[in-house]
Amino acid sequence: MDFTFSEEQRMFRDTVYRYAKEEITPLCEDADLKGEFSFEVWNKIVAMGLTGLPFAEELGGAGADFVTCSLASEAMAHAGVDGGHMLALGAHTYLCGATINDWGTQEQKKKYIPKIASGEWIGCMGLTEPGAGSDAASLRTTAVKRGDKYILNGSKTFITNAPLAQVMVVYATLDRSLKHKGITAFILERDFPGFSTGQPFHKMGCRASATSEVFFEDCEVPVENCLGGEYKGWNMALGTVEWDRSVLLAPGVGGAMFTLEQCIRYANERHQFGRPIRDFQAIQHRIANIKIFLEAIRLAVYRVASSKDNGQMINPLIAAVNKLYMGDEGCNMAADAIMIHGGYGLMHEYPVEWGYRDAPLGAIGGGTSDIMRLVISRLMLG
Amino acid sequence: MIDYELTDKEKRLQNVMAEFCSREIAPRAEILDECPKEEVAKLAKENLQKLADANLLSLGMSEENIDMVCHYVAGEELAKACASTFLCARASTFLCAGILKLLGTPEQKQRLIPDLLKGNLIGALAYSEAEAGSDIAEIGTEAVKEGDSWVINGVKNIVVNAPIADFFVVLAYTNKKAGPYAGMSLFLIDKVNHGLSIGEPIETMGLRGAPKAALYLNDCKVKEIVGDIPENGYAQLKRILEMGTIGVASMCIGVGTACMEKAIQYAKKRKTFGLPIGVHQEIGFKLADIFWNNDIGRMLSLRAAWAFNSGEHESEVLGSCARLFAGEGVTKIANWSMQIFAGSGYFKGSDIERLYRDARFGEICEGTTEIHRLLIAKCELDS
Repeated sequence: MDFTFSEEQRMFRDTVYRYAKEEITPLCEDADLKGEFSFEVWNKIVAMGLTGLPFAEELGGAGADFVTCSLASEAMAHAGVDGGHMLALGAHTYLCGATINDWGTQEQKKKYIPKIASGEWIGCMGLTEPGAGSDAASLRTTAVKRGDKYILNGSKTFITNAPLAQVMVVYATLDRSLKHKGITAFILERDFPGFSTGQPFHKMGCRASATSEVFFEDCEVPVENCLGGEYKGWNMALGTVEWDRSVLLAPGVGGAMFTLEQCIRYANERHQFGRPIRDFQAIQHRIANIKIFLEAIRLAVYRVASSKDNGQMINPLIAAVNKLYMGDEGCNMAADAIMIHGGYGLMHEYPVEWGYRDAPLGAIGGGTSDIMRLVISRLMLG
Repeated sequence: MIDYELTDKEKRLQNVMAEFCSREIAPRAEILDECPKEEVAKLAKENLQKLADANLLSLGMSEENIDMVCHYVAGEELAKACASTFLCARASTFLCAGILKLLGTPEQKQRLIPDLLKGNLIGALAYSEAEAGSDIAEIGTEAVKEGDSWVINGVKNIVVNAPIADFFVVLAYTNKKAGPYAGMSLFLIDKVNHGLSIGEPIETMGLRGAPKAALYLNDCKVKEIVGDIPENGYAQLKRILEMGTIGVASMCIGVGTACMEKAIQYAKKRKTFGLPIGVHQEIGFKLADIFWNNDIGRMLSLRAAWAFNSGEHESEVLGSCARLFAGEGVTKIANWSMQIFAGSGYFKGSDIERLYRDARFGEICEGTTEIHRLLIAKCELDS
């Protein structure tokens, strides 16, 4: 066992942390309040090279490993970057970019990855549909091959970055009777005929990320834009779990660090009954809970990230535990943070208020906590 | 570089321990739990002897060092088989040998540690009292210097291993006015020492197979302290109890894992409404919650154990986090497991009934969860 990050990883994390704190965080409060994606924030993220971290250098990336990518996301959230922009970065770089990078042909990679790495194009990924959430395999968006094109019909919903995206990884079915085995992935561009997106939704949390529906009306996709091969989509969708259960959860680690620091500061400053509230056991109880959550979620995230870097197969049981723990206990942590702050915790100028609204996404997006329990129990029963 | 894998040596220890304990110790867990209190000492001693014969009593402790990762790994496997035996073995080879390792003179180490690890000697650590647990400064046991000896008076109301111990490590004030940090010493007292007597075996709700009794010291004249500097006892006791969080966590995860294995077996076999009950979400989701509580608890424990081995400055707080998480976890796990067994678990003689009682000590043993919360919070609030 070894729980030390390399010198290089630590230095990179520190650099990202300082940069985010100085350059990005000051812009986030306003973006969250307005519920609007900020290109100013995005350009800062791009300028730091964070949109290209996992990709090869010849494709415009940094060739970073899973642990380093996770540390970068952790550092940004630790610096106070809001959940919305963290989500936008995750959907862009990992759900869209990394999927193309992992499954794409050389031509596809050369065409799309440099644009994604440089942030010139914003990316998104579409699996969920109005009628297919937890039961993702029941999706109804169809793809029919006609000559040198696939024709897509259907719709997607809750798609992070969709209103802004120039490129999208979409899962559709070639044959609904095959259920999950019929699912196939495609790379779509915004100007493909028949592709359109809806108005951004107003969301409870992660408000600065733009989320909308996506519509395909006889949408024409060139055959060379089939990603990973026909009928291979389901395993690809499951494969994003590797990113989803490490790098995409890493903002939760940074978020917990940020929250703990906010709570410690407030508990030391705030006086009631003639004493700082840190003296009261009820406050200490919540501080300890947050600390335990932080240590546990850090271990969980880097367990998946490091096993991937060390060339091990991801254990689906462990991946589901990560997601479940982050989702459910993240909500509890956010609630503890609010209670430490009392009335001030309900005010937007205290970031714990955003944290409380952002946290439930962790228990819902990428597989609800209930679905995680279903997965874990099935694996346990063999 | 980040790596969560146990080393080959640690994995070997885990495998050997698991194999031995499931064959030799686990079948006796029920017998130890149910035997009359007068027989506990004999049966527990037999278990210690079995472990000693297989060279597995040391629980990660050696004459050279205290390996907390090995301690955790071995402890979890033993506790999974029989938590009572774990408590008993650990009191001797970790708590007593550990204190000697930290504080003892070279002569004391050489005289006692090898025999403790081989099972030739059994030790007991006596520090808490009826009125002094979480707040150890309140102990009433006091030693008064007389010539080159001390005369000790006091009562330790519940001491694990007291009925089988060859010697005791006893916490007493040597200078009450100086307070706990500067005024407490640890004494080494042989069981035949004049003025030392041991009470009747004490019965407890769980961990019934670990022999326990009160220790009475009446004008007990003692020559030997642990180490050669008096009034250094509290700091060393505190240190071994900080490291002890790993062992308590291993007991919790061991019991939790035993619960989980039984619950999975039962949930596959038992049918309601035409289906194995594990397929019903109310049961299957409880299994999932049991799984993640054990899994995260084990990860926190190994992380903290590694921190102790590497001398990280945060090791104490990580130990408290692990022990608190595992302690609260096993309470929930035992509860969910009982619920999965329902009527079949509630009767005397069922494994889950024993595990349920054993589990409950996890939140109490060596610093309640409340105390550990305060320690963690203080550490964070002062940071």
